[in-house]
Amino acid sequence: MVAYIVRRMLQSILVLLVVGLVAFSMFRFVGDPIEQLLGQERTQADVDRLREALGLNDPFPVQYFDFLVRAVQGDFGISYRQSRPVADIIAERLPATLELALISGLLAVTLGIALGVFTAIRRRGVAANVIMSTSLIGVSLPTFLIGILLIYVFGVQLRWLPTFGRGDVVDLGWWSTGLLTESGLKSLILPAITLGLYQMTLIMRLVRAEMLEVLRQDYIRFARARGLRSRAINFRHALKNTMVPVITVTGLQLGSIIAFAIITETVFQWPGVGLLFINAVQFVDIPVMAAYLMLISVMFVLINLIVDLLYVWVDPRLRIDGKTA
Amino acid sequence: MRSILPLLALSVALPAGAAELRYASTTDPNTLDPHAGNSAPNFSLLGNVYEGLVRRGRDMSIEPALATSWEPIGNGEGWRFTLREGVTFHDGEAFDADDVIFSYERASSPESDVASWFAPVSEVVKVDDYTVDILTSAPNPIFPDSIANWMILDSGWAEANDVARPNIEQGNFATTNANGTGPYRVTERQPGLRTVLEAHDGWWDDDIGNVDRAVFQPVQNAATSVAALLSGELDLIEPVPVQDAARVEQADGVDVVRGIEARVIMLGFPHDADGLYGGDVEGNPFQDARVRRAVAQAVNVPAILQTVMRGSAEPVAQLVGPGMRGFTEGLDPYAYDPDAARVLLAEAGYPDGFQFSLRCPNDRYLNDEAVCTAINAMLAQVGLQPRLETMPVANYWPTLRAEEHDVYLLGWSPGTFDAEHPIRFLVATPDEEAKLGSWNFGGYSNDRVDELLPRIQSEIDDGARQAMLDEVANIVKDEAVYVPLYVQPLIWGVKDGVDLVQRPDNFVVLRWMEVAG
Repeated sequence: MVAYIVRRMLQSILVLLVVGLVAFSMFRFVGDPIEQLLGQERTQADVDRLREALGLNDPFPVQYFDFLVRAVQGDFGISYRQSRPVADIIAERLPATLELALISGLLAVTLGIALGVFTAIRRRGVAANVIMSTSLIGVSLPTFLIGILLIYVFGVQLRWLPTFGRGDVVDLGWWSTGLLTESGLKSLILPAITLGLYQMTLIMRLVRAEMLEVLRQDYIRFARARGLRSRAINFRHALKNTMVPVITVTGLQLGSIIAFAIITETVFQWPGVGLLFINAVQFVDIPVMAAYLMLISVMFVLINLIVDLLYVWVDPRLRIDGKTA
Repeated sequence: MRSILPLLALSVALPAGAAELRYASTTDPNTLDPHAGNSAPNFSLLGNVYEGLVRRGRDMSIEPALATSWEPIGNGEGWRFTLREGVTFHDGEAFDADDVIFSYERASSPESDVASWFAPVSEVVKVDDYTVDILTSAPNPIFPDSIANWMILDSGWAEANDVARPNIEQGNFATTNANGTGPYRVTERQPGLRTVLEAHDGWWDDDIGNVDRAVFQPVQNAATSVAALLSGELDLIEPVPVQDAARVEQADGVDVVRGIEARVIMLGFPHDADGLYGGDVEGNPFQDARVRRAVAQAVNVPAILQTVMRGSAEPVAQLVGPGMRGFTEGLDPYAYDPDAARVLLAEAGYPDGFQFSLRCPNDRYLNDEAVCTAINAMLAQVGLQPRLETMPVANYWPTLRAEEHDVYLLGWSPGTFDAEHPIRFLVATPDEEAKLGSWNFGGYSNDRVDELLPRIQSEIDDGARQAMLDEVANIVKDEAVYVPLYVQPLIWGVKDGVDLVQRPDNFVVLRWMEVAG
């Protein structure tokens, strides 16, 4: 078991290193940060001085190595765009993204499971068929279109909800939250739906398929024959047995909710790390891009690691493999 | 009755009390340090907070600000500025000549992004507490015009906070904090998210409207900011995308304010290249002025303005737009005439046209990619075979600098609002040492222009200066050094009841706004 964990950790570190290397080799193609940093009346001397000061004359493996050396000491450099430490900027922006991801994740799981169960039990009903058909929209429409549609209907036409931003936030020192103010909660609704819609339909369809499968099983039939109430059958016996794949998928999707927040954050001007990254690409803010990509890959690697370890814990056969390897 | 009602509404709206303005633009200033960034979004915001010796009025003319008057010294040795007394910075410190000297040293230091403004300056001398002499190495009649964005910092504040020099790459206290003498002070700054300005009660001037608090938020996505304007969450957005302007105009409760920007959009040519970058012919056809004129006559600018720019922009025949100092009157653009273009190409020896690369940015100017697509088709109609390639501006400038271009799209906004500015940067023979022609990517070189430029820069007499500017404008047109296309429009969206002044520099000047309560 320990050997298995150590081996997986080492693999994770290798993945991170490769991601970083690929990222750094790509930065040259994003453009020249100097063009964005200095105004049109700059001189060549200014350009040369800044290029040297930022270490842009070094080949990219050297730049990458410098980044790694500083990153392991907790120093992610200084943003070209904002002239402030990248670590501070990301710490400022992360709460917005995590709150959005959390709420839309919760939304996706609760609504997805509820609707999935409903459409499985009443699979011939009109309502279930309407839900199933409309869920196709959630899977097929691109996120930015859904976002703009929601803004248009609920922001511009009905004027129920704000069209952009995070509303008022409460600063807790180490965390800024929009969950404690009315405007903050209102601002959260549309982006959370936009971000969570795809995951919700995914979970719903998964739960429905699994439920239909389970409901066909003999033990459900026997339960019915025993005269158990259908509530107990559906929720205690059937749903429980559909949860294993659902949990797996949801866990993996959590990572993509955070990563895909980029588009939702851009449409809603949501002040999270995704918006920060888009700006960084536009202004060739290499330190911010590097830190963001590393952060996202650390997150994915961690989630995968945890999922793998969970498998080991759930499935004894893997544990034996781990020992023999 | 019907005709009276709007009048009544107007009279009720006018005597409004203090108001808040919530506004958005696409770009957040990258710093609050007025010497660490040289771009319009920075000066637009900071112009409300900091002040220079001079400032621009509603019509762009230079007027007194922290200096009450100025006069040339002797025979053009420099300028003497008499400073305003009784001015205080936001932190309560008094303004005097030491702050001017300090701000000169700071802004002209190698760490500054605005140092090139002070290239003509040899020395700045304090005469007394409220008099400063700025000496120039040659007579410089437009020096006061060139320093309208040179903002004055308090020397004591700068030293106390360890910001005696700007720091572009690392940042410092002045990156996120400001202490100016202007009508507004910064009370909250969250870079990239939100900046709050509040009226400074102790401001020396009384030319200020009723906005006592302004919240600025950058909104990158144009559709998002238009939606926020329509839903009433924002009072002012700039810019409104050209294609959305008509819709915003028709919507209730909001309106569009149009104007023209100082920025001229033009096509540039490879003048000094021996061969084409993306061509199929020997040599460089664009060295022949007839080929360049053929391009000018092949591009149907009125059609581009009508379709791509929806009638918002103005055609132009020179490198500056009307309203700029030194604008040449009576210069007409080349008429659209595809037949004449074909004749010119045949005369130059290319009756069947030739292949070349046409490069354009796709995120720099209003509808730049669509404009280039139209130009591409128009050039093809006279037999030329352009290969259009568009890219983000972060990649675009490096390719132009690396000489990887033939014909390219360029926009130029003269920082001094004077016709000398584009000549210095775009037409003068490139010379790194003398800081000339730094954006002359085509490497155009003309002895007469190079001879006239220093004389334009030092000519005191307005008539003689204009004559030389006219001569250069005519050379640029006759030689078709560039093909100026149009002056870029300014399209702002405002909520009804917001009265504002829109200048060609695209600055949001809060003190000229009246917001109905």
